[in-house]
Amino acid sequence: MKKIILNNGIEAIIKKNKNTPRTAVVIYVKLNKDEEKCGLYHLLTQLLLQGTKNRTSEELAAELDENAIDFCFEKKSDYIRLKMQFLNEDLNKAFELFQDVIENSTFNDYKKEIQKIKGELTADLDSAKIQAQDEYYRTIFKNHPYSIGRQEIINEINSITKKDLINTYKEIKNVLKKNIAIIGDFDENKVKPVLEKYLKNLSCKENKEERQKVKKIAKNRISTIIKEDANQAQIFLGWQTPTIKTKEYPVIILLNTILGASGLSSRLFLELREKKGLAYTVRSVYEPYLLCGNFFVYIATEPKNIKISIDGFKKEIEKIMTEPISEEELHNAKNNAIGKRQFYQETNMLEAALKGNYEYLGLGYDYEEKLNKLISKVTKEEIQDTAKKYFSQPNALCVLAPKKYLKEAGLVK
Amino acid sequence: MAKEKIKKNLIKYPYLERPVEIYERENGHKIVFAYKRGSLINISSWVKTGSINENDENNGISHFLEHLMFKGTSKHKAGEFDRTLESRGAIVNAATWKDYTFYYVTIPKGIDSKNFNDTLKLHADMMLDPIIPANEIGDPFNLNDKKITTKRERHVVIEEIRMRKDQPWTKVYNQCNNDLYTSHPYKRDVIGNEQIISTIKRETILDYYKKFYTPNNITTIIVGDLKAEEIIPKIIKEFDFKGRKNTILKENKPDKQIKGGKYSEVYSDINTGFLMFGYLGSKAGDIKTSTILEMICLILGQGQSSRLYQELIEKSKKTIFNIVSTDYYHFRDGGNLFVQANFIPDEKENAIKLIKNQIEKLYNQGIDEKELNKAKKKLKSAFAENSETVSDIAETIGFYMTVCDKLDCVEEYINVIDKITVKDIEVTAKKFLNTKNAVISVLMPQKYKK
Repeated sequence: MKKIILNNGIEAIIKKNKNTPRTAVVIYVKLNKDEEKCGLYHLLTQLLLQGTKNRTSEELAAELDENAIDFCFEKKSDYIRLKMQFLNEDLNKAFELFQDVIENSTFNDYKKEIQKIKGELTADLDSAKIQAQDEYYRTIFKNHPYSIGRQEIINEINSITKKDLINTYKEIKNVLKKNIAIIGDFDENKVKPVLEKYLKNLSCKENKEERQKVKKIAKNRISTIIKEDANQAQIFLGWQTPTIKTKEYPVIILLNTILGASGLSSRLFLELREKKGLAYTVRSVYEPYLLCGNFFVYIATEPKNIKISIDGFKKEIEKIMTEPISEEELHNAKNNAIGKRQFYQETNMLEAALKGNYEYLGLGYDYEEKLNKLISKVTKEEIQDTAKKYFSQPNALCVLAPKKYLKEAGLVK
Repeated sequence: MAKEKIKKNLIKYPYLERPVEIYERENGHKIVFAYKRGSLINISSWVKTGSINENDENNGISHFLEHLMFKGTSKHKAGEFDRTLESRGAIVNAATWKDYTFYYVTIPKGIDSKNFNDTLKLHADMMLDPIIPANEIGDPFNLNDKKITTKRERHVVIEEIRMRKDQPWTKVYNQCNNDLYTSHPYKRDVIGNEQIISTIKRETILDYYKKFYTPNNITTIIVGDLKAEEIIPKIIKEFDFKGRKNTILKENKPDKQIKGGKYSEVYSDINTGFLMFGYLGSKAGDIKTSTILEMICLILGQGQSSRLYQELIEKSKKTIFNIVSTDYYHFRDGGNLFVQANFIPDEKENAIKLIKNQIEKLYNQGIDEKELNKAKKKLKSAFAENSETVSDIAETIGFYMTVCDKLDCVEEYINVIDKITVKDIEVTAKKFLNTKNAVISVLMPQKYKK
């Protein structure tokens, strides 16, 4: 892998992976301020595929599909990510289309796109799990942009104007910091000229951070959603935690592995599924956003099991806070966490996304090796101390279920 | 003891560096090895059984057995398999579908392929000697008994059934799938129902295992940066079936598309409408026709340039659809082509009419050369995509070996694609896609229930 700096100042990492038929390109655009209107960045990324001065949206879609070129543009919590994937031989064609999209998008059909987005999000919300998960983010990140879910976007997206879009687009194109990762089976020397040629009109400046900080939870927050025909209760229980770029990061990775992310042998899986038969899906998840980490445990279970499941969670959380883990469990968790990380870069797209993300964070594309070393050095005392420090903080609980069962669990009156 | 005779065959597999090696043993057990550079390896065994071998009394048994296969062997207690492998970074799981059940481990190769050797031993042991302990299954119980406190694997599967009931797409799919068939076992939901799972006996499950987990019904697949000459003898040694007798599988008579079609409507506590149009397709082994049907799917409803997306979403003046797409599922006794859509409930009649119009247009007027070429390029690219990870390669091989009974078709796949003509598409559309015979299932918000 090599790193170059393009004439426009954008840093690019380039890697040749022999015998891989498709090239992956990932461009990270760092967001330095919060969205002024919910859904603005999402709408903008979708509009980039809705036609340019040279191609109607139909022509653009046809040209992409005829060449089997995938463009996936997405707004994440801290960045915009532009992903491209194509057969190695179509490198030039893909970048030619990308240049057109980036430089000549018209945003003419933005009202139509708003309707499409609202429709897709409304359809998503017919899933009980998605409804509950959105509510959980609202609960743990109350009033912070991280709490914005589908409903907020549906409510506010109509207020976005063409002017909003053009201003935001100009900022993305000309100001916001970007970095690129490109991996495929190509002649590495031929990639730089392609990037220089097609990305020449993008600029990259240092961003001034103007993002709202995440407020700590002062006392436990509980939210509920009544869904009378739910066959399962959806339960999310979570804590704000440190994130990447903190010394606790590798420790929380292991905490997550031990509690509920190692597959069929994690504590939650064994206790709540294998021994108690409470669920098919039970797990923990650690999401290290830029400004704050989100650590939650999740179960979907028959509604009458709400209390027993929450008690089960609390028991496991209490256990990891108070009882030292064994050397064997720590050893297994490390091997699991480090071994599994190989899956995170199995394809060109996965590898480009991972290493591009490290570059975007300023950690360097070789951070993966450092992280593995950090994980391997974590002690059982650190695990227990970190668990104590953060799991003893107030938490956020969100439960979706029929009213009768929420009542039985003492969550609603 | 005489040395076992093993037939070896090589298959040129698109996008892989080396030919794939197939070994067939005297007892019918097949072993496939695909070389793939990289640090991860995949070991899986595919069993030729799923809901295709079920009936109204035991529906869900294949999937329930899949769960119970993880509950220990004579050598290893329940949980040891998962713990040992996951503590080395493995992803361990299994899946059951209509024609097959497969068990897999994807794991870092480890120093000197140590993980391969240990995984193979554990995997073969699990496949050949599951003890399915009664206490892990849990006692049969009455679903209406609210006092059950000891919950075991029966309850886990019942939770999985509950989970699926809360998924609108699954709900409308199950309805459509059920209506597509008259008598073929494919009509049943693979996961079964609570009634059967809560009461099925251990003996019934063990009998089912003995009947279907036989040498000629199993293909073991290895993908990774390994050496065939080292691993094949080990696989043969570990997969010692000890003379287990083969079962001759019953053939099912394929169903025909219902003349005049079928319409059904179900309701749920939702805000949008979900619908599916279903058609029966060709047998998976008929690679050419299956590929043509895949192409029709691509042209009709996959990607932003597809006809349905362009005509019903992009160009529509009024919002009727939120989502519209197509899918083709390959099955041994005949695949399924689905059009699926999410729509504004007040526009139900319109939505159905508009989809019908698009299918009819394709049925009556066929496609053009440009659409054909797009479909060809996209199919090839999709095949390349499925050659990127050891687990995807294993799944492709497993599918062909189990559902099509052969891997040879992979060698020809790109050629088959290249030779398909506009005329082929027209003929196939005429054969399968008569809108008068469409099976249509709709899931509507509760308030629309008359």
